[in-house]
This record gives sequence, structure tokens and C-alpha cells, in this order.
Amino acid sequence: MRSLPKRVDSSLIRNFSLIAHIDHGKSTLADRILQLTHTIAERDMMEQVLDSMDIERERGITIKSQAVRVLYDAADGRSYQLNLIDTPGHVDFTYEVSRSLAACEGAVLVVDATQGVEAQTIANAALAMNANLEIIPVINKIDLPAADIERVKGEIEEGLAIPAEHALAVSAKTGEGVHDILEAVVRRVPPPTGNAAAPLKALIFDSYYDAYRGVVALVRIVDGELRKGQNIRLLAAGITTLVEEVGVRRPANTAVDELAAGEVGYLITGLKDPRDVKVGDTVTLAHGGATEPLPGYRDVKPMVFSGIFPVDGDQYEGLREALDKLALNDPALVYEPETSHALGFGFRVGFLGLLHMEVVKERLEREFDLDLVATAPSVEYHVFTTNGELLTIHTPQDMPDASTIEHIEEPYLTATVLIPPEYVGAVMELSVARRGSFKTMVYLSENTVEMKWEIPLSELVLDYFDQLKSRTRGYASLDYEFSSYHTASLVRLDILLAGKPVDALSFIIHKDKAYERGNALAIKLKEIIPRQLFEVPIQAAVGGRVLARTTVKARRKDVLAKCYGGDITRKRKLLEKQKAGKKRMKSIGNVEVPQEAFMALLKIDE
Amino acid sequence: MYELLYIHLPFCRQRCAYCNFVTEAVPEDDPHMDAYLERLMRDIRAAAHAGELEHIRTMYLGGGTPTHFGHARLVELAYLLSLSIRLEQVEEYTVEANPDSLTPALAKDLYALGANRLSVGVQSFVDSELAVLGRLHTADQAAQTIRESRTRFENLSLDLICGIPGQTETSWQYSLEQALSLEPEHLSIYPLQVDHGTPLAQAINSGALSAVDEDSQAEMLEQAARVLGAQGYPRYEVASYARPGYESRHNTGYWTGVSYLGIGTGAASMRNTLEGTRERWLCGEEPELLSASEAAAEDLFLALRMSRGVSNTQLKEASTLLPQALNVFEELQSLGLVVQTNQRYLPTEKGWLLGNELYARVWALAEGS
Repeated sequence: MRSLPKRVDSSLIRNFSLIAHIDHGKSTLADRILQLTHTIAERDMMEQVLDSMDIERERGITIKSQAVRVLYDAADGRSYQLNLIDTPGHVDFTYEVSRSLAACEGAVLVVDATQGVEAQTIANAALAMNANLEIIPVINKIDLPAADIERVKGEIEEGLAIPAEHALAVSAKTGEGVHDILEAVVRRVPPPTGNAAAPLKALIFDSYYDAYRGVVALVRIVDGELRKGQNIRLLAAGITTLVEEVGVRRPANTAVDELAAGEVGYLITGLKDPRDVKVGDTVTLAHGGATEPLPGYRDVKPMVFSGIFPVDGDQYEGLREALDKLALNDPALVYEPETSHALGFGFRVGFLGLLHMEVVKERLEREFDLDLVATAPSVEYHVFTTNGELLTIHTPQDMPDASTIEHIEEPYLTATVLIPPEYVGAVMELSVARRGSFKTMVYLSENTVEMKWEIPLSELVLDYFDQLKSRTRGYASLDYEFSSYHTASLVRLDILLAGKPVDALSFIIHKDKAYERGNALAIKLKEIIPRQLFEVPIQAAVGGRVLARTTVKARRKDVLAKCYGGDITRKRKLLEKQKAGKKRMKSIGNVEVPQEAFMALLKIDE
Repeated sequence: MYELLYIHLPFCRQRCAYCNFVTEAVPEDDPHMDAYLERLMRDIRAAAHAGELEHIRTMYLGGGTPTHFGHARLVELAYLLSLSIRLEQVEEYTVEANPDSLTPALAKDLYALGANRLSVGVQSFVDSELAVLGRLHTADQAAQTIRESRTRFENLSLDLICGIPGQTETSWQYSLEQALSLEPEHLSIYPLQVDHGTPLAQAINSGALSAVDEDSQAEMLEQAARVLGAQGYPRYEVASYARPGYESRHNTGYWTGVSYLGIGTGAASMRNTLEGTRERWLCGEEPELLSASEAAAEDLFLALRMSRGVSNTQLKEASTLLPQALNVFEELQSLGLVVQTNQRYLPTEKGWLLGNELYARVWALAEGS
């Protein structure tokens, strides 16, 4: 590895991001750049070095931002400091992406030569344009036989309004063309501007938790300089603290004396609580610092909520500790204790979106070895009561009595769907069925149509994306952003098992869909709940009125008749195994309910 | 002090389509069986020498298919057993037999060497059902074999299986009636269990055969209990029916905590210790030790396999080791799995059919103690 020069003239600095739709090869490209610039020795190269979490690597997605400094000897004979910022590729993390982009002057927009422009390509390109970045379009995966460079160029020009005649055709996998990307970054991305003499102003664009050092913030210095020992102030958080260490990532943390205007690096303070170090916050000097924060900061708000409960009540404390630990690296994760009659003690957890929810659940189970039940996701409803109060409802159980409700509002999204033209009808059908209203339709190219829908988030969190994928044979891509709250005629649908309401199975639904959904759920639950000692009636009801009913018949026969000398031990083991199987179920009253029943709402076929 | 002796003969002419047992398909002249006989003989001599066979009162030659072991080998084995055991104190001496390999001559010789009970694996009296099971005999052959063996054996047991793909209530009734017409002393009725990996399971998975559903199987089991009960064969165990006085003593020993010795590959043994603990092991393997409370829980769940159930006295005694026993039995009663009459807890019809549920709840007592 080459050692770092003391201080670089800001004209030799380039800060840029890689942006792309999921799976378009962003992380592989990042790996290749690290290799090409000898940032990592060949023997240390691990596939996708920048995606450091197991789950990220496994699922091929980037959840956290990363910032790596590489040194590049360009064709003009000069040596440049390139700061490469790898951004999360998923729509749940749009705000994080926007902050990462705010730390850059340029963006390399990666488009898969076989897939073309997709929904998140557009979303990310729009974010980059809003941030006034120089965009370098790159068509990746040209080594694949199905690559169609000309078509993709057309889509970039028509769909993104970005000139594509100079788009670079590369293969991150083979390394072909990657040099050209770095040359283009040096030539086309402007060097950072910033006033080295002005008081310190730095943007926090991500953070993570280190067990030994506390919160480590990734920062871009806008003005001034950041040095060890400085007293600094975080403007939005209103916290003053001391700089313990600054440095750059290569990709291992390497301490430096200072970070100057235009540079990107990390900052360690004494702060231990990740919620104090907010993405988008401005770092300045405690005394004589800037008073105006950098633009664009906002509080991150969860959009999707789900109850998470341990299958075994003994794991409640374990779950709390696990959530505390995860939240250290994920300040967007919010949770509060929740009690369910059916599921006992657990937490109502708020997520940025569906992927975020899935990732968190998977990490809780996998990294902390917990056995969890999660309830169907819900959204934030605004309930206006007859006496003029506004209640914010995150869980169906909190829905007040219908007689006290004046009206209810629910969040809507603007969903952008990209599809080949032959699937327009399928998307229409699905979106209308999910209470969507059609906004616009634009042909981005001969092969790609962009449709915009206004759709309730509650419908989207069910299975809209899965359905979209299956009805378009996997061709659709989806992006969404919060739009606004709208009044809707909503009711709480309760599920009764053996005559008793099971709170964890309740959900909020549009009145017109209550019968259909309630019936479908009752049928699905009948399939999921195994036959028990007694007949178990399943009822779907709104306000005490039963809309649908199915019945799980009583179990008739469960006996292994042979039991002689050698069978007794085997038999005993079998009984134990059966019992262990039951342990994985939740017993509600007399009824053994498998974990998947609580997610059945997402799996009903319509 | 072993009271029961089991000899395992793990050889068959062919594996049945549903078979998941310790057995090996070999031709009649396979030298493996000679070697196996040698080993058995040594083990039996060793056991006799160690005094382990002195109190044996029931014997069982099971398999596999003992009758496939071959006339000469079987006679040699039975001869050695007759020398190693006090036959005059043996109350019951069963040999398992298949209709395709039990000859009249073999039946005579086994009887001469002390065997007094035959357990014949008939399974069905419908040829198409026998074919589905992969059995090598026909219904007529089975009837013939049974009639012939009657010249010696006055104690006969037949096995029947219900829930065979293709079987109906009518064909099951037919099999039951055919079995009764042969006037056996004892009948064992098993619901077909389709074990993973067997040819039968594959045939069902591939759609070539369709499995009989839970409800129909339950109906057939109830039908058997009804028909056999009415013909003078009360059920005395979940799968066993007998004319009064012909309940299997050997099997009853398994269900009532009597110590037994098993000899041969995969044969199981059980020994109660003086401390009230219990050892169980497979021939040649390390024993598993059950605590006194585990042994008590085992006795309780095994007792509930039998129509005589658990007496209040037994339950009270067990509850010194299993403090929750009384509560759990109350609960079993409220669930309709057992009923209390004449100071005993007896399995109900529901308790017979949902045996696993019942036994699991009772066995779980051992965990809580």
C-alpha cells in the first residue's frame, strides 16, 4: 500500500459516488477500483470489500455507506486523491443516499448492460442531479452475451436526460474499461470548492458504532479543517464534544493529523450514543464556529411498523439487548415495548421501509440467535377523534373505538414502476386493486415504460412488490417516495380463534376490502394452523360483526401403533421431537399457532 | 433380572415397500446368515453362562422375517435356546412368520423345540393391497399357511394394516372378516405409516399412489375396534386385540416395565436397577440411563397404551417422583384423552387415536421433575 502524502492541493482531490439500481454491479466495480489503485493488496482482496456486513454480502446489497480514499496516478502525470463513496442502493435509504451524494462533486452512474435503466437508476440519478453532481454514465457487464449497449445508451438519454454518447462501456468483473472511469472522474468531476480559511463546517454523511471507539462518523469537510483535540459542536444535535481522532479509510481506518476543506474521512469523538451523531448533521467548532448548518438535514422517520415478539418469553431480555446493539449501527431503527395478549411482551419496531424491516429481522434471528414472531407490517395512521384530538397510531390495537373517530388519514406514496410495455395492463390491474390512483405514464424507450401511481403505503407494505414482480415475470422495478396523508374509510379487522380475538392478527384495512381480505385471511389461516385436539373456528370480524368464518377440523389420528422393545426409546425421542416442534408455535389459549400465521396477511392470494 | 428374551433375525427375502426396520434382503443361501447364526449362538451361550437367562418366562423370535432365516438355521437356533432356557417356566414363546416362508415342516419343528405361538404377518386379505405393500404372498397363501400351522399351534396371532393406498372401508371390512374366519387368538392392527425414503413414500410423492387421509385412517381404526370387539376380541392395547386370556404376555411385559434382554443386531434391552433407575441399550451399544422419574413417566405413558390404563395407586406412587402427575392427568381428562372409572384412568377412543398427544403430555412429566 502506498503511504499517504502529507497534504494535497484541493485541485488534486475528487469526491465521487457510485450509484446504481440493485444488482447492477456497483460493489464489484468498487472492488475493482480498490484493486486497480493498489489500495488493497491482491492477496487481501475479498469479494466486495466495501459491503462489510454479512447480510450485505449475502444479499448483494449495500446498506451502509462507505468512504474509501484511493490514490490514482492519472494519464496527465499527476497523482490524485480520489474519495470513493459507496452508497446504499435501496429506496428505503434514500435520505442516506442523498447525504452521501451531498459529500461529492461527481457520481458514476452504473447501469447494467443487460437490464438497462431501472426504477432505482432513475431515483438515484435524480438525487445526483438535484445535488448538482457531474454524472458519468457507465454501462457495466458488457462481458455478458445479453449486453445491449446501444439500447441502454438510448434509455439513459431518453429516460434520464443524460447525454450518453460518451457513456463508458465496462466490465467490473473482468476489469475492462475501469481505468477509463478513473480518468473520466479526474477530467470531468470538478475538484471540491471550499474555504480553507473559514470556520470548520463538515457534513456527517454516515456513522457506525465501534465497540472500542464509540460512534465513528464519516464526514466531508466543506470549509476549514478538522483536527484532533478540537472542541466541536454538532449543530442539529446541539452537542459539544472533543475530537479524539480523525483519519481516512483505506479501507482500514488510518489516522491523520487533520482533514482539510474538500477532504473526506472519519471522525471519532467521545460520543457513545449513535442517536447523537445524526446523518446530515453539521460539525463545526464549539467556539467561533459556523452558525448556519449545511442544508438538507432532516430527522429520519420510520414508515413501517411491526410487532416483534420472542417465541419463548424468556428471550424478551435477549431481544431488548439485541435491538439496543443493532440500533448502535442503525440510528434509524426505533422501538418501544409492546404487550400483546396473544404474543406476550415484545417491541413495536419502526423501520424505514420493507427491506430495512427484513434485514433487521434477519439480523436479530441470525446474529443474536433469537426465535421471533413478527406481526404483519403496519403504517402510521392519523386518527382524528370527535373531540378534536389527533392520535398517531402505529399498531391496530391502539385504534380507538369507532364511535370516537371523526376521520382517519393514512400515508400515500408516489410509486414509480418501470416495466416493458406489455405489462402495463398487469400493473394497472394490480395497482387499482391496491387502491392506487394512476398519475402518469411515459415511454422511456421502446422497451421501457415509466408509470407513476399514488398508492397507500399500507397496501404497498403488504405484498405489492412481490405481486408486481410475479405479474411482470420479474421485469418490473419499483421506487417510491412519501407523498402525503389522505382521508380514508378504514376499519380494524379482528381475527378470532376459537371465539377469542387474537390482537396480534388484527389489521387496519379499507372498509370496502374488509370482506374480501378477511375471507382470504381466514382461508389462509386454516391452511397454516395445524389440526388440534379440538375444532378451531377462525372468524374475521369488524366491530364485532363476523364477515367470514373457516374451521380447522379437530385432529383425528396421531398415533404410531407399533411400540415394542426396540421402539420404546425411538418412540420417546419422537414424542420429544414433536414437542420441540410445538415449542416453535405460539400457544394462544388452547390453540397452537405457527409463527407464519402472523405474517399470513402478506401471503394471501387474491 | 431379565424376564423376557428377544432374538432378532434381521433378514428378509425382500424389503416391503413401507419397511423402515433394521433388516437386510438376502437370498436363502446367503452366507451372511450362517455367520450371523454363529454370532447369535455365541451370544446366547454367553448370556446363559452369565445366568442372564435363568428367569426368562417369555421369548420372541422376531425380525426381519425369522422364517426366512431358513429351516436348518432356525432349528439349530431353537435347539440351542431349548438347552439354554428353562422351557418349563416359559409361558409364551412366539415366532414371527411370513406366509411365503413358513412351511408345515418348519412349523412342526419349531413347535417340537418349544415355540407355542405364531405371529403371522398377513397385513391384508386383498391381493392388490398386498401388492401395494410389496408383500410376496397372496391372500390365499396366507389362509393356507395359517390353516396348516393350526395342526400344531393353538395360539395364533395375525397382523393387519389399515390405511393402505387403495384400501376402502369395504375392503378393510373384508380383510377383518377373513381374518376372523381363521379364528386367530390374537390380532394386531396397525395404521400404515409411510416413512420418508421408503419406496412407498416415493410412490406417493410421485403421485403413482395416493395416501389415505387422516380421517379415513381414523375411521378404519374405529371400524376395526368395533368389528373385533363385537366378535369377542376386546382391545387390550392400542394396536392389540385378543380373546380373553390370549393377550401377549411378552408384549405386555414391554408395556409394564419388565426387564428384557435382546440379542442380535439392533435388538433392544432394558434393565431396571435396584436404585429405581433404568437402562436401555441396543445390542452392542452403550446404555442410556433413565432417572427414576423418567422411568416412572415412561411406565405411565406405556400403561396408557393399554386398556387397563393407570390405577390411582400407580399414579399416586408416580407422583412422588413426578409432582405434576395428578394435575396432568386431570388435564388429560378435561381434554377427553382419558376417563376415570373404577379408580383407574383409561384411554378414551380419542386417547387411542391421538396417542402421540397423550403419551407426549405424560412423558413431558419427566422434564418438569
